[in-house]
Amino acid sequence: MKDKLYRDILPRVSKPARYAGNELNIIKKEWETSRTKMVFAFPDVYEIGMSHIGGRILYGLINEKTDHIMERSYAPWPDMEAIMREENVPLYSLESFRPLADFDIVGFSLQYELSITNILNMLDLSGIPLKSEQRGEDDPLIVAGGPVAFNPEPFADFIDVFFIGDGEEVLPEFLDAYYNHRHLNRQECLLKLAAIEGIYIPQLYGVEYLPDNTIKSRQPLYTEVPSVVRKRVVADLDKAYYPDKPILPYMEIIHDRAVLEVMRGCQRGCRFCHAGMVYRPTRERSMDTLTEQARNQLLHTGYEEISLASLSTLDYSAVDQLVKGLVAEHGPRGIGVALPSLRVDAFSIELANEVQKVRKTTLTLAPEAGSQRLRDVINKNVDTEQLLAAVEAAFKSGWMALKLYFMIGLPTETREDLDGILTLLDEVKRVGNQYSRRPVEIRASMACFVPKPHTPFQWQPQNSIAELEEKIAWMKKSKRKHIKLSFHDSQTSYLEGVIARGDRRLGKVILTAWQKGARFDGWSEYFSFERWMQAFNECQVEPDFYVTRPRSYSEIMPWDFIDIGVTKEFLIEENELAMAVVLSPDCRQVGCTGCGVCTSLEVDLDIRGGDNFAHQS
Amino acid sequence: MRIRVEYEVKSELRFLSNLDMMNVIQRALRRGNIPYALSEGFNPHIRLSMGTVLPVGLWGQREYFDLELAAPMSIEDFVSKMNVVLPPAIKINQASKIEQSTPALMKVINATAYVFVINSDNFDVSAWRDQVLNQDILTVKSRGKKKGIDKDLKKGIYKIELINNELETKIILWVSSGEPVNIRYDELLDMMQQTGLDSSLVIDVYRQGNYIKVGERFYSPLEKVKVFE
Repeated sequence: MKDKLYRDILPRVSKPARYAGNELNIIKKEWETSRTKMVFAFPDVYEIGMSHIGGRILYGLINEKTDHIMERSYAPWPDMEAIMREENVPLYSLESFRPLADFDIVGFSLQYELSITNILNMLDLSGIPLKSEQRGEDDPLIVAGGPVAFNPEPFADFIDVFFIGDGEEVLPEFLDAYYNHRHLNRQECLLKLAAIEGIYIPQLYGVEYLPDNTIKSRQPLYTEVPSVVRKRVVADLDKAYYPDKPILPYMEIIHDRAVLEVMRGCQRGCRFCHAGMVYRPTRERSMDTLTEQARNQLLHTGYEEISLASLSTLDYSAVDQLVKGLVAEHGPRGIGVALPSLRVDAFSIELANEVQKVRKTTLTLAPEAGSQRLRDVINKNVDTEQLLAAVEAAFKSGWMALKLYFMIGLPTETREDLDGILTLLDEVKRVGNQYSRRPVEIRASMACFVPKPHTPFQWQPQNSIAELEEKIAWMKKSKRKHIKLSFHDSQTSYLEGVIARGDRRLGKVILTAWQKGARFDGWSEYFSFERWMQAFNECQVEPDFYVTRPRSYSEIMPWDFIDIGVTKEFLIEENELAMAVVLSPDCRQVGCTGCGVCTSLEVDLDIRGGDNFAHQS
Repeated sequence: MRIRVEYEVKSELRFLSNLDMMNVIQRALRRGNIPYALSEGFNPHIRLSMGTVLPVGLWGQREYFDLELAAPMSIEDFVSKMNVVLPPAIKINQASKIEQSTPALMKVINATAYVFVINSDNFDVSAWRDQVLNQDILTVKSRGKKKGIDKDLKKGIYKIELINNELETKIILWVSSGEPVNIRYDELLDMMQQTGLDSSLVIDVYRQGNYIKVGERFYSPLEKVKVFE
């Protein structure tokens, strides 16, 4: 297999290092003596999959700390896929070069709604039946986890087992249980596995619909199967496993650096934010642990940069000391520290100034909305003054270009809010030009708002493509010098919206779209909206039902049986406060705001010290 | 202190680009805690300069880089430390201290030897060599910067060696790199195709070494530049 690859196949494809394996720090375990054999399959190309921290954590955890095996596989780029099909090469793992069908478990990471067609394609390239119901005793179990799995229903036809919540918490237990029940037949084994907290097995549940197409009821089909699936959560992140020896790829990947996960979760409470709701509560790692992890990762990789990752790194309680400590320890060897997400305030900019190894080219900030009113609706706790202070701090210290992220199509949005974005950009440019000799470059990227499950906006209608296009045209009507606007594709956002809040009936649409050639749908060069619309048409499924329709609080949502710890009452209240344009505070600053996660999951907000909050507004 | 290093890239890493290879070496320098020198300026980088680019798809027996060290270190120590931290498919063969004034590798390397491993069951390599040597010009379409332009390789083909025994058949082409003509290995494959050696007979291609050609002699980049302590 490997010889054939190296001799006949890899010389013919672009970026062959994607498929060659053998990276430094790879772990190859003895097949025969290992217990459960799993392959972690990432439904996108190598350089994206290899950048994913969750995969690094699970790979190290399973291989270093358990008797099970975890190998890796990524979606082949279309040129490689064509040759694999032509030469009858099945999709294989990069460790042992075994076909995926040889494993007990094939586990997909669901980071993005539209990657589902790549999952089907990878199963097909492996010769594994695409639908759960077609798989037999000799086929692997197909499992999936990740943020998109918090609404697993659109993928219910294809995935045998879903993991809900923090993967490192549930996976070792799952692989142990699988090993213990391996002598049972598939159905009996699934029934045993369904008892594990955080495990959801769609085929063990039935769903009934009302004449208006909303859900009438959903029931477990067996008495021993739980009706509510509660997410798993790592209570003590500081003690949780984190890899000291991540795989070092040979080719450049998207995030090609050592990464520290300084904390998990965020309780700022932005009402549109999926991750901010499903990954509660905030749990930090201690400075000592992070300092040690940085040292070890650098020793084993030789990376030139350390990135501090999390949903909102500047909110880490000891960010100032941590960053300065890392710079002092590793800076003299030419190793830099990167802050991937900056908060919109002057403190963030000043800290970034101190550490930024790279030239001060472009700084990125995310005010999300253009008017104060709309920022209050979405609970983005930033006012214009703060934003301009941040901008001033940036240009004062020599940054030449600024990139700003906004969303369009937010609930209650009017033309004044869109104009607000443009006015804000003018203002930013004006501030910039006071400090810079040549005109500053302002770029604004506008994403189309997609309401996500488990958020306060899950009941809100999403803008139609026509509405979004009208807004885009409105914003483009007057050109501004040195201000560049770019917009996410409204058709892609529409399809994301369908799947994000979809239900089981989308299975046939997804399968049809794949049969028509859909794959790499997250890549504009391969995405075809028309293909998807034909699939909806043929399957007689109305996509608008999932996207533009307002939902009532009494409607049963497809994901209601997934318990993320945050209560529905809290989400409703937050939605109501949004409509009343009232802000909600951060529980780290004012004490518990009653979202429910700590009490229901018996965990706690875990803040590891540091006085960072003194710096905040 | 400046050193010149000769290393080998085994077949397993033949798919790396030049940038990938530079990253591999820089990261090994960091893992090995080598006292590399950093450039001045806002974005300091390791003072490393690579020899001629090893083409993607080829492995190489003698590749080179120069490195500036900020603190003295014995050559033995450098080689052994690096060989511990480098991937198994890269090995440093030898290294030596060189003068600060030694011209850069890219400036002095002017010849390369490519080895083509041939399936000669039904092919007479000796006859093929004679035929190639007898031609006055060997024109191929350029694959380099001036893509598609006619390019005569003949003046850049310095010698053709054959290894032809029961175990293996190899054609070793000693060719010009840079001046008078920059010859790429894929252009040599095209030339072979045109002269009757079908590419399906080529089992493997690798680079045997990079050389400094002076008159009729080929020196390795490590010869003549060594500084003896």
